[in-house]
Amino acid sequence: MLNKFLTDRLAKILEFMHPWLIKTLGRDRLEYVASNTTNEVTKKLDPFIWTYDCKAKVIAIRQETSDTKTFVLLPNQHFSDPIAGQHIELTAIGPKGDAARCYTLSEITPETVSITVKLNPQGEVSPWLHDQVAVGQVFNISAARGQFVHRDQQQVLFICAGSGITPAFSMINQLLAQPSTDKASEVGLFYRTQSPENTIFSKRLAQLDSLNKQVKVELSYSRLPVDVVTPSFIDQLIAAYPDIKQQHIYLCGPELFRNDVIQYLESINFDMHNLDVEQFTLPELLQDQQSIKKLDEDVTVLLKSQNINFVIPASDCDKTILEAAELQGITMEHGCRSGMCGSCKTNLVSGEVSGQKIGRSIYPCTAYPASNQLVLE
Amino acid sequence: MAKTMDQSAQDEEYEKIHQAFEAIKQKHRDDLGEKDVRYIKKIRRNSRIFEVIGRSLIHILPGPFALIGVPFLFLHRNLEAIEIGHNVLHGQYDSFDEIPQFHAQNFRWKAPVDETSWRQEHNAVHHVHTNVYEKDPDLNHGFLRVNSQVPHTRLHYFQVPIYLFLFYPFMLYNFNAQNLGVVDKFRKKYFPEGNKGYAVLDESLRLSKAEGKKRHKRAVRRIWAKEYVLFPLLALLTGFGAIKVFLANLLADVMNSYWIALTIQATHFTEPLQPEDAIKNKGKWYISQLDSSVNFKGNRWQSILWGHLNYQVEHHLFPDIPAHRYPDMALEVQAVCQQYNLPYKSNDSWRAAIKKFVGAMWTYSFKNPEVKDEASFLDKAALLNKAALLNNEALLNKEATNVK
Repeated sequence: MLNKFLTDRLAKILEFMHPWLIKTLGRDRLEYVASNTTNEVTKKLDPFIWTYDCKAKVIAIRQETSDTKTFVLLPNQHFSDPIAGQHIELTAIGPKGDAARCYTLSEITPETVSITVKLNPQGEVSPWLHDQVAVGQVFNISAARGQFVHRDQQQVLFICAGSGITPAFSMINQLLAQPSTDKASEVGLFYRTQSPENTIFSKRLAQLDSLNKQVKVELSYSRLPVDVVTPSFIDQLIAAYPDIKQQHIYLCGPELFRNDVIQYLESINFDMHNLDVEQFTLPELLQDQQSIKKLDEDVTVLLKSQNINFVIPASDCDKTILEAAELQGITMEHGCRSGMCGSCKTNLVSGEVSGQKIGRSIYPCTAYPASNQLVLE
Repeated sequence: MAKTMDQSAQDEEYEKIHQAFEAIKQKHRDDLGEKDVRYIKKIRRNSRIFEVIGRSLIHILPGPFALIGVPFLFLHRNLEAIEIGHNVLHGQYDSFDEIPQFHAQNFRWKAPVDETSWRQEHNAVHHVHTNVYEKDPDLNHGFLRVNSQVPHTRLHYFQVPIYLFLFYPFMLYNFNAQNLGVVDKFRKKYFPEGNKGYAVLDESLRLSKAEGKKRHKRAVRRIWAKEYVLFPLLALLTGFGAIKVFLANLLADVMNSYWIALTIQATHFTEPLQPEDAIKNKGKWYISQLDSSVNFKGNRWQSILWGHLNYQVEHHLFPDIPAHRYPDMALEVQAVCQQYNLPYKSNDSWRAAIKKFVGAMWTYSFKNPEVKDEASFLDKAALLNKAALLNNEALLNKEATNVK
């Protein structure tokens, strides 16, 4: 009885100390201490720190608009530093079992990350986040991943719509946080939403615009009162950024919106090398009923441990996963290359492989892709 | 023309051997299950019990009586280091979802060795290029010289006492230094021919200086913090002797290193050195591994304390099958070896194995030793072919009687 009381107290104190621990020790040192002290007792005492999973705890929730909330997350030591523009995959503990969705990080601080989620009443994860999740909730997240990140271009224009603002917002903040020596690039943001009330981060965008000389924010609304005559958003875009052809464009938004913008860019002979488009091509980690078939299509592979995402072209599907990865310039741990030594052994999280495997454990050196999406531990 | 005929007949033979060993592996893979999970959990539970008994006795008993606790602490350290640690880090238990604590990626050693670099060095280099000159880092780690191809230096005259009295007591620390590339640097600096004759860390595996240092420190400090700071301090705070605890823990640490050193050393270092391309042909993996390891006999209980490394032959053939299966697999391996006339090397006892090994260490501490007993320690890099195997017939017969 007393024992239980004491351990509960201790657990409470530890929980209270999480942000402090991560801040003062840093994730790297915390990982060292925690991984070397994980045992049956500590795992029960504090399952947030003494765990093998990458977990995050909700430490604050902000209402952005009527149907959009920002969740500030404190990831545990298994999370490594993200790059602005990347996303995480969040595993919800829903009524129908676990479901995973990807969310772009809208804000990044050394200790925390935020996701900004629009409610989709028909969805599985966003209603759970909006209605069930309170401060203190813990769930599993993936490492941050994605290639939609800033790569040192001088003049950047973000074109986004709806919740597509999230990667742009974190990238702009990252650009502004960089030392303002030579990086004082020009940053443009063209953001289309339904109305001023539905504009995510509206106040902070206005602040960004007024406080920073190199930032120019242009808002565009699709649902204004009928009597206000507005030009088409493409016209508004041209008017606001006449030198659009000199810019590097990051495009993020709903499919129709993206198509409109790309069509316009094609019409003005925009150099498509200067265009980055965010589309979530990542595997939806649901119970997919993919049967094993002879592959004649590209295979997307995700290596969770390295947090690398790559595509094996259809022509390489007869090669082993290890060889195919190496052809893409990706190094995977390996030894004998013949399935003997077990150095490459890893676990399959989702997808199918043929060749050498034991249950979920597969040998990339002697296993071949057998589904168009593979996630390896 | 005749040569190609020979070649294809040989290839066919290799393929048959390969299939025979694959069948053993597949049989045990298919059998993986509850039994293995229970086994590793049981070993961990016993290790914990030994730890509690050992540490309590060392803590409470006065002065020299604390020595009574040392064997228990040694048992804990030993089980954690080899029967659990070594085998888990081979990925032997990776396929069991229910025991994430025994997955190679998650496991943390209670030994002063960095897991990531060890897995690279041990699983991907030592187990692949076993007994290959200048490729196998365990063939002559540190400055060891056990074949005459390695350039001789004055230091080698003293290798027996240096290893027996200085290196083996702290062998685990030496392994760590080797995996992280510290030993390479030593040889490069002090040996006239540098690293010639020794395996060096692959450049692509070499960590940045800062990262290597950090890993080294972390791997060692976690042990020191527990054995030499935490528990002595606890004793001090509760009114018992801190120095006594410190010394008892040191003794257990040294015993652990010595035990492991003698277990490993006595089961490698065998003739012949392997050709570099030994692993390229499928069948040759098994033949090459058979050539490179020696078993020594012991019962099941003893085998657990040796981390089943006395079944080194089976371990090298099937490094990622749970080790507690090796005694059973040994019978099947021996049958295949007999069928195809392959060498299956085994010493009658640990003692015999150690004697043989220390003998080799002594022999090669001299510059140009005359190797009399070729069957026990060949000096040449024999090529792997049937003819060479048949030439060793004398040895084979001897082994066959050993097996009986």
